[in-house]
Amino acid sequence: MRITILNGEPGPGSPFHGYVHRLAGCLRDSGHQVTLLDLAALDLKGCSGCWSCWVKTPGRCAKEDDSARVCQAALDADLLLAASVVRMGFTSSLLKRAADQMIPLLHPHFLIQGGEVHHRPRYARYPAFGLLLGAGPDTDAEDLEITQAIWRRFARNFKFRPVFSAVADRSAREVADALAAAA
Amino acid sequence: MPSLLLLDGSPRGPRSNSMKMLARLAEGWEQAGGAPPQVLHLARRADRELAAAVFKEAEVVLLGLPLYTDAMPAQVMEWIEALAPRPGGGPVLGFLIQSGFPEAAHSRPLQRCLEKLARRLRCPCAGTLVRGGGESLQLRPDCSNGRLWALLRTLGGQLARDGRFGAAEAAALAGTERYSRVAAALLSAAFRLPAAQFYWNRQLRRNGAWDRRFAAPYGRAAGS
Repeated sequence: MRITILNGEPGPGSPFHGYVHRLAGCLRDSGHQVTLLDLAALDLKGCSGCWSCWVKTPGRCAKEDDSARVCQAALDADLLLAASVVRMGFTSSLLKRAADQMIPLLHPHFLIQGGEVHHRPRYARYPAFGLLLGAGPDTDAEDLEITQAIWRRFARNFKFRPVFSAVADRSAREVADALAAAA
Repeated sequence: MPSLLLLDGSPRGPRSNSMKMLARLAEGWEQAGGAPPQVLHLARRADRELAAAVFKEAEVVLLGLPLYTDAMPAQVMEWIEALAPRPGGGPVLGFLIQSGFPEAAHSRPLQRCLEKLARRLRCPCAGTLVRGGGESLQLRPDCSNGRLWALLRTLGGQLARDGRFGAAEAAALAGTERYSRVAAALLSAAFRLPAAQFYWNRQLRRNGAWDRRFAAPYGRAAGS
């Protein structure tokens, strides 16, 4: 299975950063093809709401940065895993910056999907989606539940099939096995 | 009357739909006797840093933002990450979430997140205003939005007088929560008409991008 991991942890020396890298190693040991993107190491300029990716350069962000790499890695995967510590009640602004710059993966036209207005898919195929959260010092169960609810909506909007959600409170090996089984 | 800090969380800054709506709330605040608010745009790094500092002394804060990929824009989260609870409690904190989707349901999970933020910061919450169809403000002339602007002014006045938004007015602003099955079926049919996608199609044509509108640079295009 091809797995792309978006590591939204800004600090390369943090325990969660190390955890995500151990998880990638466990998945590779199990025979999966893993692309691990440390978002802190990428040049992501962020979405400025210009809609160029919909109406000027359809399908591509007009900014010269690494967001194209994120979009390509997401679409190439069978499973896209977003990983971040929850601080102040939500995943990191770094992960959010990457997510905001994924809107070129959708088409601006609207359609009805599951009884709601959503954007039309631009692609024939989208990956399954997983969410891996770390609990920050101020994180409680409600924060995790709200964060998961928001990312479920994100997956729904992006035509990603949500298959996995976990908190990094088990060994990386256990999470890797659970992730592979879920997908 | 306490002071008001308006935080515009749109990545588009002053010309944003969020700012248009915040400006009407501020008009209502001033009509009710409040002083003109301080306005900061979180899309600007300098304003973001200033907003984190000013927040510590603020009395009433109104954060308005567009729903971006189902949550707050990254710039707003960056600002949130710089906050900390204030000893003795924080300012009265209210929120405006405006979304391009017409239904309010898209914004509800973010509403929960923001209201939890208010509790985390030990701020009394003035409530959360949700409004769909925000992008249509770009289509219509200001003069055609009279009812919406009046409703926002009323809500701004309530914030000034009562320290919170009225429930009935907030519900009126939110409009449709979810479409019924019949309405969804009718909309589904309507969306197949080119006229329903006029806003995007007009821009694609103006930009000479019409022939590339279904471009799929990262994979196999839908329908191919």
